[in-house]
Amino acid sequence: MPNEVVITGMSLITSLGLSLEENWNNLVAGKSGVKYITLFDASSLNTRFAAEVPPEFEELSRAHIKKRAASQMTRVTRMCVTAAKMAVAHAGIDFEQADRSRCSVIMGVVNTGNSSVEKDTTPQNTVFKTMTNSMPAWISLEYQLTGPNFAVNTACASSAYAIAFGYEMIRSGQSDVVIVGGADSIINFEEIQGFNALYALSVANDPPGQASKPFSRDRDGFVIGEGAGVLVLESKSHAMARQAAIHAEIAGYALTSEGYNIMAPMKDGEGMAKTIELAIKNAGIEKNEVGYINAHGTSTELNDRYETMAINKVFGDYAGQVPVSSSKSMLGHTIGAAGAIEAIITALSLKYGVLPPTINYLQPDPDLKLDYVPNVARKKNICFALSNSFGFGGHNATLVLKKHLT
Amino acid sequence: MATLTESIKNEVKEIVYSFFAEECEVDIAQINDNTSIIKDLDGDSLMFLELIEIFKKKYNLDIELKVIGKYAVKHPVATIGQLIDMQLLIIEHENRLLDLEH
Repeated sequence: MPNEVVITGMSLITSLGLSLEENWNNLVAGKSGVKYITLFDASSLNTRFAAEVPPEFEELSRAHIKKRAASQMTRVTRMCVTAAKMAVAHAGIDFEQADRSRCSVIMGVVNTGNSSVEKDTTPQNTVFKTMTNSMPAWISLEYQLTGPNFAVNTACASSAYAIAFGYEMIRSGQSDVVIVGGADSIINFEEIQGFNALYALSVANDPPGQASKPFSRDRDGFVIGEGAGVLVLESKSHAMARQAAIHAEIAGYALTSEGYNIMAPMKDGEGMAKTIELAIKNAGIEKNEVGYINAHGTSTELNDRYETMAINKVFGDYAGQVPVSSSKSMLGHTIGAAGAIEAIITALSLKYGVLPPTINYLQPDPDLKLDYVPNVARKKNICFALSNSFGFGGHNATLVLKKHLT
Repeated sequence: MATLTESIKNEVKEIVYSFFAEECEVDIAQINDNTSIIKDLDGDSLMFLELIEIFKKKYNLDIELKVIGKYAVKHPVATIGQLIDMQLLIIEHENRLLDLEH
């Protein structure tokens, strides 16, 4: 029998807060973390706003990471390591009592953020700040874990892939505990200029808090966010043996590649639909058991159109009864961290029976007809939920999460 | 090739102690020559290289890292005292460090 996989620890660092509770409260309140950029002078760019992590993060980071190690990390790597330490604390796990060779780390990493906004980069620390395996490596070092530690890069689906691989390692019996997640920030001049050149970003500068409007008629591109999300995955037997609190379960997943286009999703959401369909099948549940979908929902013309089409295709007549919301309406698109951040939000939705809203949904797109949980959070007890992540390059992931019944 | 005076020896010791106290966030009074760089201070090998850069500039040393690397393989450094001794040898012998092997 494969091992069942549960979530025993979670942490979030985003524009809406530096703790799980603060994030959840702000998400349920429908607040936006999107503001004018302060990390650098963005006045000459078409897009001058983003969802930045609050400056108080620096103090939080100092409390979790020693100065010496911090000097070899970028701000984003520090977000990841800080979030990992908070997630491990949340899980209440003592690695002295665990078999460290059966504890692993997998992080979704698109880049380490060693960009022009990074301070104090020197020839001595350039390599450490740039190497994309640094996030899982630092976490592994922190707890002296000797199971596999590695990074996975599948663009905006990276940390969803990390969760899927962590799930698989526990399910197959290779590991008892896997720390999974990701961190990212592309809030720097070069990246924003580059995405502006692709017409991928919103340029609705005023007011920034209303720029990310997934599924709306007037959506004009995604909004860049930054942050970290880390989960502690554990076999249910391991978690129960140490009487750990279980917050939710992972029931299945699907990963697919579209083999279609480096940027655009496959026409009519065919690849997305296939991924969702496979994930539901992998979890061994019926479609009408899905009570909520945390959408990729980027606020771009194509993603939102195709994701809606995919959901309609998979669920048919039932599609209109499945609430679908986009956390990116509040947090922006956190790229490599998005899959983990949104999986955590999905887990919290299952745990608390509350669905966070899609904010800024003021002008419905007449072509897109689903229940997008417009503007206001909703109470709803659900047993199963999906979290979608779709990345540039055709990397698709759908995770299936399950409410933990005590 | 410098002659090691007491003044230089004291200066090197003071720089090394201060460097580790600052970087490892420990009270300088807690450091002595027997302090383990890894076990006691949670230091790393990069600190050794950073100190070499500091001393290269300070004493205008003609020393290549590969020379130090070859010497260090046979004379590993674990404590603060050993590191100070190594730095003094580097200052004294520079690129002729390996001649000490013969």
